[in-house]
Amino acid sequence: MSNTAIKVQNLVKNFGKGDSLVRVIENASFEIQKGEIVALIAPSGAGKTTLLMMIGCVLEPTSGEIWLGEERVYGNKWVAKDTRKIRREKIGFIFQAHYLIPFLNIIENVTLLPQANGVSEKISKEKAMELLKYLEIDDKAYNMSSQLSGGQNQRVAIARALANNPQIILADEPTAALDGERSVSVIKMLKKIAREQNVAIITVTHDDRILPYCDKIMKIENRTIVFQDSDERII
Amino acid sequence: MINLARRDIEHTLGKFVVTAMGVGMLLGIVLIMIGVYRGLIVEAEVLLDDINADLWIVQENTMGPFAESSRVYEDFKDIIYVMRGIDKSEAMTFQNIQLPHKDKPVRAVAVGYDIYGKISPINPNRLIEGRELKNDHYEIVVTNKSGFKLNDKIKLGRNFYTVVGVTHKSVYSNGDPLVYISLKDAQELQFLYSNKEIQNNTARGVKNSDSVLVNAIVATVKPGFNINEVANEIKKWQHKSVYTAKEQKEILTKNLVERSSKQIGLFTIILVVVSTIIIALIIYTMTLEKMKEISIMKLMGLPNSLIVSMIVKETLILGIFAFVFGNIFSHLTYDKFPKLVVLYAYDALLLFGVIVVASVLASFVGVKKVISADPAAAIGG
Repeated sequence: MSNTAIKVQNLVKNFGKGDSLVRVIENASFEIQKGEIVALIAPSGAGKTTLLMMIGCVLEPTSGEIWLGEERVYGNKWVAKDTRKIRREKIGFIFQAHYLIPFLNIIENVTLLPQANGVSEKISKEKAMELLKYLEIDDKAYNMSSQLSGGQNQRVAIARALANNPQIILADEPTAALDGERSVSVIKMLKKIAREQNVAIITVTHDDRILPYCDKIMKIENRTIVFQDSDERII
Repeated sequence: MINLARRDIEHTLGKFVVTAMGVGMLLGIVLIMIGVYRGLIVEAEVLLDDINADLWIVQENTMGPFAESSRVYEDFKDIIYVMRGIDKSEAMTFQNIQLPHKDKPVRAVAVGYDIYGKISPINPNRLIEGRELKNDHYEIVVTNKSGFKLNDKIKLGRNFYTVVGVTHKSVYSNGDPLVYISLKDAQELQFLYSNKEIQNNTARGVKNSDSVLVNAIVATVKPGFNINEVANEIKKWQHKSVYTAKEQKEILTKNLVERSSKQIGLFTIILVVVSTIIIALIIYTMTLEKMKEISIMKLMGLPNSLIVSMIVKETLILGIFAFVFGNIFSHLTYDKFPKLVVLYAYDALLLFGVIVVASVLASFVGVKKVISADPAAAIGG
């Protein structure tokens, strides 16, 4: 069984046609292993979110191939019939802000996706409590997100992303709304999750302070992917 | 599965309830409008039901006193009475009058009847005070909505009439209060001219014999006789128009109430359409407020059916809440209206059905928004 969580080959994404054609990603190829946390960096407008959306089966690439684990989801067209099902079962998302559903309490936010996947209410609640405990936020399980701090909410968002046992977590600047100390705390937590849950994590970031905690730094340069080494990697 | 609609409503319960109350008041007005129509029908049939005649014999080629002018001779009741199958027959008059009352006159319809006759237009169950007429002259029975009380004196024509009885819910087909006077008084009021005019007419050779006219003869048919056959016999031999009680009701509802009912019906339809549009706008706004959450739910992979069901359920719950508030509103206010408002449970049930359908239709705007929501909008702030 392969240890590769994400495999991207010759991925291309263009917007528009003819004179208005905009090439965003060209021949991007890379692999990310299970248990790895990878930072995706690039200047604004370079295509970070576009790449994230293509891996997340939200945005259709122009050409290339995407493999999520053993499953080839894109090969010049969507191979997977139901991309939403892929997202629901294989991918966890973390956003710049927590974006918890404001009318659900914390545990309901975490159990929503597993229940949509057909997991019973009882089992999904047990799993959610485990995750909340793991993220040291279980005492707030029945609070509303409005009653929690930004850092606490972001931990709940991480629990929600893990609730469906994803193979991959795609994080879009998860520390953007947090101060330095909390940013480091969140990235440490993500790293711990990657290691302990054997999940591949791609995190888009502009925050240099979190780069030392990542296993790889992936950079978009001239519309393609290059890996950058970090001498100050924190294990 | 978590009930998203319920959780969302609970989260903004106050706002939701106030919104539902607002729409509910609109639906309450719809119920009142239907009640006004029902009231028109009930009022139109009060006099017919109270007289409870099988046949209405009126001037030939007319539709009778409820629709147009009709004159027949009073003694025609005796001709009718001796016809085969007739049980009772009486003469009656119906006329609009103005009852002088304090600062402004009260418009009413006076029913004149033979106080010694066998058919009385006064339903004893409606008599709440006093008695029926006992004297041939200068007595009047009024309905309580006319504003007169027992023993009040009312000047009609040349004479004063004493209120000897008060009825309730006695109204004419147009909603005017009914008053009852003796046939003799009624004929005088309707057909007797002033002394000077009588003098003038006499000088011109015109004989004033109109005071023996009435507006209709009402009759009941003996058991065992077919009402339609008896009616046809009268038409055939007496050259009069004859209507059965059923036909009279049709004249009232089709000819007199129809236009009002169309007016009310159209108004009701407009109100239902407006309510639907308002519900749709509310749901659209509520959906817009949740677009970020909807995008996130779609991005996470939640199926459209789950999100759509939240929107449809919320719309239905809003419609049901509004319907309940509408019922409460209509029941609290219906008796404050000057004209009779009758609220029937089956009208409310019918409206409930309409509201359910309208809510489902209204939810389409929210559903359309959900389906078009871009999951990518959740990424990138």
